Amino acid sequence: MTESTVKPVPPVDTPPVVVARGLTKTYDTGDNQVHALAGVDVEFHRGAFTAIMGPSGSGKSTLMHCLAGLDVPTSGTVHLGRTEITGLRDAELTLLRRDRIGFIFQSFNLLPMLTAEQNILLPSQIARRGIDKQRFDHIIDVVGLRDRLSHLPAKLSGGQQQRVAVARALLNAPEVVYADEPTGNLDSRSGTEVLRFLRDSARDLNQTIVMVTHDPVAASYADRVVFLRDGRLVDEVTEPTAELVSARLLKLEEA
Amino acid sequence: MLRTTLAGLRLHKSRYVTTVLAILLGVMFVSGTMVFADTLKANYEESVMGSATSVDAIAVPAQPEPGDGEEPEAPAAFTEEQLDDVRALPEVADAGGLLSGEAVLLDDEGRAVGFMPPAAIALDGTSRFSPDEGTLPSDGDEVVLATSTADQTGFAVGDTVTVLDPEGDKRDFTVTGLLNFGVDPSYSMSGALVFDPDTAREMTGVSGYSEIDVLAAEGRTDEQASEAVAALLGSGAEVQTGEEFGLTIAENAGGDTEMLRVALLLFAFIAMFVAGIVIYNTFAILIAQRQREMALLRCVGAKRSQVFRSVLAESVAVGLVASALGVLAGVGIGMAGAAFGGPLLGTGSAVPVVITPLAVGVGMAVGTVVTVFSALVPAMRATRVSPLAALRTSATAGGLEKGTGWVRVVFGLLAFLVSAAMVAVVLSSEPNQMGPIIVTAAALVAFVGVVVLGPLLVRGIVRVVGAPLRRLGVPSMLAVDNSTRSPRRAATAMIALTVGATLITGYSVLSASVESTMTTMLEEQFPVDYQITPQFSLEGTGTGDAAAEGAEEAPEGEAPADGQSAEGGPAGDGAAAAEPGEGAGDGAEDGGPTAANATVPAFPTVPNGVIEALEAQPELGKVFGQRSTSVETGGDLPLFVYTYPGAEIGVDLTSEVVEGDLTDLGPGRAVVAEGYVDGVGVGDTLTVPARDGQDLSLEVVAVVEEMQSLSAVTIDTEDFATAFPGVDENELVLVRAAEGADAAEVRDAVYSAVEEYPTMQVASVAEMKNQFSEMMDIAFYTIAAMLGLAIIIAVFGISNTMALSVLERTRESALLRAMGLSRGQLRRMLSVEAVLLCLIGAGIGIVLGLVFGWAAGMSALPDMIFSVPAEQIAVFIAVAVLAGLLASVLPGRRAAGTSITGALASE
Repeated sequence: MTESTVKPVPPVDTPPVVVARGLTKTYDTGDNQVHALAGVDVEFHRGAFTAIMGPSGSGKSTLMHCLAGLDVPTSGTVHLGRTEITGLRDAELTLLRRDRIGFIFQSFNLLPMLTAEQNILLPSQIARRGIDKQRFDHIIDVVGLRDRLSHLPAKLSGGQQQRVAVARALLNAPEVVYADEPTGNLDSRSGTEVLRFLRDSARDLNQTIVMVTHDPVAASYADRVVFLRDGRLVDEVTEPTAELVSARLLKLEEA
Repeated sequence: MLRTTLAGLRLHKSRYVTTVLAILLGVMFVSGTMVFADTLKANYEESVMGSATSVDAIAVPAQPEPGDGEEPEAPAAFTEEQLDDVRALPEVADAGGLLSGEAVLLDDEGRAVGFMPPAAIALDGTSRFSPDEGTLPSDGDEVVLATSTADQTGFAVGDTVTVLDPEGDKRDFTVTGLLNFGVDPSYSMSGALVFDPDTAREMTGVSGYSEIDVLAAEGRTDEQASEAVAALLGSGAEVQTGEEFGLTIAENAGGDTEMLRVALLLFAFIAMFVAGIVIYNTFAILIAQRQREMALLRCVGAKRSQVFRSVLAESVAVGLVASALGVLAGVGIGMAGAAFGGPLLGTGSAVPVVITPLAVGVGMAVGTVVTVFSALVPAMRATRVSPLAALRTSATAGGLEKGTGWVRVVFGLLAFLVSAAMVAVVLSSEPNQMGPIIVTAAALVAFVGVVVLGPLLVRGIVRVVGAPLRRLGVPSMLAVDNSTRSPRRAATAMIALTVGATLITGYSVLSASVESTMTTMLEEQFPVDYQITPQFSLEGTGTGDAAAEGAEEAPEGEAPADGQSAEGGPAGDGAAAAEPGEGAGDGAEDGGPTAANATVPAFPTVPNGVIEALEAQPELGKVFGQRSTSVETGGDLPLFVYTYPGAEIGVDLTSEVVEGDLTDLGPGRAVVAEGYVDGVGVGDTLTVPARDGQDLSLEVVAVVEEMQSLSAVTIDTEDFATAFPGVDENELVLVRAAEGADAAEVRDAVYSAVEEYPTMQVASVAEMKNQFSEMMDIAFYTIAAMLGLAIIIAVFGISNTMALSVLERTRESALLRAMGLSRGQLRRMLSVEAVLLCLIGAGIGIVLGLVFGWAAGMSALPDMIFSVPAEQIAVFIAVAVLAGLLASVLPGRRAAGTSITGALASE
């Protein structure tokens, strides 16, 4: 699991950014129990762009929520850097999310009453952090939003909205960015733009990104793909291609 | 369809909680008022009927004026022979007479009790009255007090009280009992003393009976007895059965209850109006949020009319449930009101609560109709949803609205212009009774303008107020942005609050302005410290009517402003009552038509010895009196002539001068109030017919404004003495302390000067001012409390709007939490938004209240000193902030409590 060959930074030299050990998540639905996660061990290294894949109900969103401190696992641990986030209280988790994690969701990523720029700067403002002007300019130029900064989200296309969300997630250089189906609502061209941009930032900015998706094409932009079924990690692929991922996925569905 | 509606209601119960509360509170007010008024009325009726029906027939001397059945001082009282004749009738088992005069009762400090002496009566034989505690007096040393008198003086059974006989000599009595006269106006106003019949004759000099109470003989009906008595007494008597008599009194007493009912219902109406706004907003938001649901219904084949009916059915269900709860709560409030408020309003012990079908019906109907009516427009809007909307994903900009249309702006500004024009017209014309009404109408027009421009106002104000708020941090910044994202919704929510804020501010401005105007007028025109007036006496006047009117003008004589508190203080009345001297003056004018026919002064006066005693006190700087008389001039009304012995007009006593100079007043000259004598100006000659047939020709040296300290015609004391030698005593005496004298010493000096004259009423101007302020305050707090409910309902509305918006923004809240906004910050964001809304609503209300309070005051009182009750307004603002915080508690809890992953998973 650790021998990823992604360049230019060999992650082998650095400890993993996120480590999950023995994660389980059980929901009580009255009579029976549903095991959304049934013992997951996984690590994510610095600068790696990882895709989590699996059929519907495989537990991929739950895994991401537990990794990100949005949800509390039933058992197991999650470390972000040296911090064990399982067991933290809500206030501490809030600070953790604020300062060390970035998020990109499938839709409704932006606050409708704030302009694109205000949306991008919002996490920094919540944290009362100073803004790295150079990084801001760089990111804005890379995502190509310079002339859209003063627009309200309603005036932006779906792809532009997601690019704003990506820019927001990356601005503070969080230790890890979690993306939940970031291209799920986009046409293929806009989706490609967003995925390229995610891949480039992982490489150029050495940004750790964990993306949940069910689209093999999207997953093929990642450095590594892990497959989940029935709450367990069942397979993984490095240097994926869309075909390879599709094939593995089909195999999973059949099994 | 109905099943779908009800299922939807059950599913979304929580959305309706605050709506139900708003309706509930309004309905509670309505039916509570009905129950309270009905119970009070029943209570009155019972206490009155109880005493009247204990006898079978009641005869009172016939009144010259019809419809005034129970005046104790009727012209021709019944004689002892008449009573004996009544007793001798075969239809009559027994009869008793009621002797009624008046006697001066002294309190424990030796001063006469009351503005008027209490009635002194005796029950000779059978009577409709019986003591509630103790026994009737059996000899000349015993007395029974009316419970109202006992409450006023603190005397109880067993105490010794001092009463003055007709010569003014003191006589002591032991209190042997208390008698509750209930609401009978003859005894409830100034109280009563009950003696044994002989003592009553000695103490009052009255010999005739003012009422004969009859018990029918066995086998005879009340009617037969009453007819027999009527036949015997002839045209000099009005005879009624006990029941008829009781009904007459109850009807009169019931009139007060009806006034109270109308006043309370007025406030209930305001509360319901505000509740209507809240309901409208709730339904409008719910319909907007359920667009897809409606569209889905249309997709599966529901007709427009069915969608419309389903929304209306929903409102009917909500209205009925809320109204039923409201009626229940109202009955509770009515019971509490009757239990606690009843004793304050002079009813006896608690009577079973009266719940009429009308009270229940009106509550249910008002609540349901207002709810359904308020839901009409949203229901119409629901029918316009196209079935396609079900297929569309809801917009990202949930709840974002388009800008304000030009039609709105033009219409709103037009409303403001019309309102301003109405105010301008009123202010430029002469003050009259229509003034305040037109100003009220103008306020309504301006309010329509606010409603129309509401969304724009919210945006504009938020832009200004929001600028500094934005810098306070992310929660405030987000709150500012959130508050303008649906300006129409925000405007409707805040306008509910504006209604209450406008009314309270308007009233407080009026109240403060009247108070400061009065205080200033007192200080400038009436620089005195004490006023001494005689006790009003029924016997000193031509008829009881005149004195009764005078007494109503200023009950208890504490301050003329008493009349005002009963009115709730419209500015016009404030002017009439704005100076202490005028109270007595008004009384004199009211009594005028009858008094003018008499050759002796019709009203009791201050003995000249009082002036001498006062002047002997070194602590007192200036002592002067007021005398007046009226002379027939052949016109409709007699001419009133005043003089102020000892006063230098223009110095000791002044008035706003229209023309001329007050200090020019002297022999052969006169000062006239503006408009009092047609066409007379400075330099003209005024002819005053004197008593002895010789006319006084006076040169007018000054014209003063109406309704101030100098009224009608003021002439020099020498001229007055020559022309009206019969008027040689003052109707009131005014005292100013010597410069630098100690207040306590001045008080002692005044009281020691009048020690020999226990019936003289001493009023301190400072105390009167305090009492006046107190009364204004009580009126203010009462009105504020009544309007409080409307404000509470408005806060519910704001809370509901917030809660529904939070529901709409669940996703956003989750996003913000994911990005690191803490629960506390999320709650703070909502608090700031709610506070902002409340502040805007209250702010607009305060501005409207200031403007129209000022306009209403000026329309009635052009000389009003506009005074802004800064403290009260500060309190309103604090209340608005508090209301906002409260309104955001529940929505905030809800938003902060939602799980992030759950919210992210939805949609």
